[in-house]
Amino acid sequence: MLENYLPILLFIIVGLGVGVVLLAAGFILGPRKPSEEKLSPYECGFEAFEDSRMRFDVRYYLVAILFIIFDLEIAFLFPWAIVLDEIGLFGFASMGVFLAILLIGFLYEWKKGALEWE
Amino acid sequence: MAELTEFIWIMAKIVAILVPLILAVAYLTYAERRVIGAIQARNGPNRVGPMGLFQPFADVFKLLFKEVVIPSNANRFLFLIAPMLSLMPALAAWAVMPFSDGLVLSDINAGLLYILAMTSLGVYGVIIAGWASNSKYAMLGAMRSAAQIVSYEIAMGFALVGVLMAAGSMNLSGIVNAQAGPIWNWFWLPLLPLFVVYWISGVAETNRAPFDVAEGESEIVAGFHVEYSGTAFALFFLAEYANMILIAALAVIMFMGGWYSPFHGLPVLGPMFDWVPGIVWFVLKMTIFLYLYLAFRATFPRYRYDQIMRLGWKVLIPVTVVWLVVLALMILAGLGPWFN
Amino acid sequence: MIEQLIFYVFALVLLFSATMVITVRNPVHAALFLVLAFFNSAVLWVMAGAEFLGIVLVLVYVGAVMVLFLFVVMMLDLNLSQLREGFMKHFYIGVPFAVVMAVQMLLVVGSGLFAPETLPEARMPIPEDVGNTALLGSVLYTVYVYPFELAAVILLVAIIAAIMLTLRRREGTRHQDPGKQVRVRKADRLRVVNIPSARRQSEQE
Repeated sequence: MLENYLPILLFIIVGLGVGVVLLAAGFILGPRKPSEEKLSPYECGFEAFEDSRMRFDVRYYLVAILFIIFDLEIAFLFPWAIVLDEIGLFGFASMGVFLAILLIGFLYEWKKGALEWE
Repeated sequence: MAELTEFIWIMAKIVAILVPLILAVAYLTYAERRVIGAIQARNGPNRVGPMGLFQPFADVFKLLFKEVVIPSNANRFLFLIAPMLSLMPALAAWAVMPFSDGLVLSDINAGLLYILAMTSLGVYGVIIAGWASNSKYAMLGAMRSAAQIVSYEIAMGFALVGVLMAAGSMNLSGIVNAQAGPIWNWFWLPLLPLFVVYWISGVAETNRAPFDVAEGESEIVAGFHVEYSGTAFALFFLAEYANMILIAALAVIMFMGGWYSPFHGLPVLGPMFDWVPGIVWFVLKMTIFLYLYLAFRATFPRYRYDQIMRLGWKVLIPVTVVWLVVLALMILAGLGPWFN
Repeated sequence: MIEQLIFYVFALVLLFSATMVITVRNPVHAALFLVLAFFNSAVLWVMAGAEFLGIVLVLVYVGAVMVLFLFVVMMLDLNLSQLREGFMKHFYIGVPFAVVMAVQMLLVVGSGLFAPETLPEARMPIPEDVGNTALLGSVLYTVYVYPFELAAVILLVAIIAAIMLTLRRREGTRHQDPGKQVRVRKADRLRVVNIPSARRQSEQE
């Protein structure tokens, strides 16, 4: 069972290697003529107006937290999906309660407007 | 010594997967331009080589010889690592794909879970590229793109859970074998809403039209990879198209019967098509989905960002959860030709 | 032999990246080293036979939790020198705590050496051919259903807490209601008015 994972590890290493080779080829083959205009950040042809850090928008934080919760829900659903035949109606009912609890949370988000405009 | 020969054998298989994949990515770019041109009643590229078939090589050479500009005040190491972080998951997921019966590099029992984990990693290249570019357009584009990818991953995950319920195994070959039979035995029929949701989420996750607002050329000027040029940009491009091919291949494996012929097991038509090898059917079905990708880009207007987020959270997730409950009841009741 | 080599390589990288997390200056670099540490842990867990948990570690921790960390760390402009200022002041309280924690961890992890009779004995042998995930599934939703539902409640609390703490309404924003937009009827938007044609008026003049 474990030896099936070795090709995956090698594949990941080869994948990273492909990236490194291509990037190195670009560096070797491409010219290197840095100039002030080329190195400044892009702003549709103008000089940059203000500082390059954007203000913290808390909606991204909320999306990320909601994503964690639902990702965990999916992680709990994976083993259940496989053994559904064996655990029968009782297993279905227990997962039903789990989904119902999280459905309450989803409804709360929806009603509060956390899923709005972003 | 036996370990060494095994190692060489594994490396040969890896090369046998990677080389056609990279060629496929290159020719997908060519096919995109020709197909979109045909939809818009014009020729695509047809100058370079016969019928323009050498166009991808010309593009690669052009990108190789361009300067890789690293903007001032950018974090050099992270700036260069981001494209590799984007490419690595797109390639690594192919290690568990079965192309035909037994034709798989690594037949692990947790194949689908591994693929979901690899697609989750795709968001890192985007975030790090945006941050390391030290440009507020790149940062804004990266944040929006990352939030979009992450929102559609939930819908995709639920659709995958539905496939798992129907197949009873996370092993990808097992999922294909659970669909053994003619076309109505495949999972697209009992799992139709999940199929549609998976496809829409796949298009949204790869940031392709009509969900490409975070990297649309007319809006945010290529978003998170605005500061990239030369081969660094080529790596992002490669990663995006490799992801497209991955989503198409997964749709075929999970919903469209993998390598099975649509007439498999039928009395008259079955033996007529049995001589066609499984991998040919697999590639044919993948081509249909790739064509869908290209046709979507040429046909639909772009969604606005808040519409994209609304679709992902308020429409796709409820549809999948409801269908999962219906599916569980179908399975427990032993319904139809799929679940007995 | 290869297994041992892989184990040592990943364990060393794990220790290195964990040390880097707490010593490096830039918080974004620290978060990225933490991602590397999680990856290496996942490989070690898969090698220990917990393939489901190893892959779920990558899926949930690296794929979700660290994305959240990176969002926050990248968007907040942390002033690191200010954060590090009080180090020497709290040194004398911090070091005894650290020593106590380290000794406790050693006693628990190394209990095989110190007090082997306190280790719980292994229960039923694990069947070889059934996968890890199926084994977990067969007990989690039946025998351990109460902790499972508790986990759901904890997730619910997390949702509610996150929304309460961070959701801010902006005044005066309007947003669309696609349901209403689709339910619009022609009579609401269109009104046909009969205006006498202009030609008749110019003929009369």
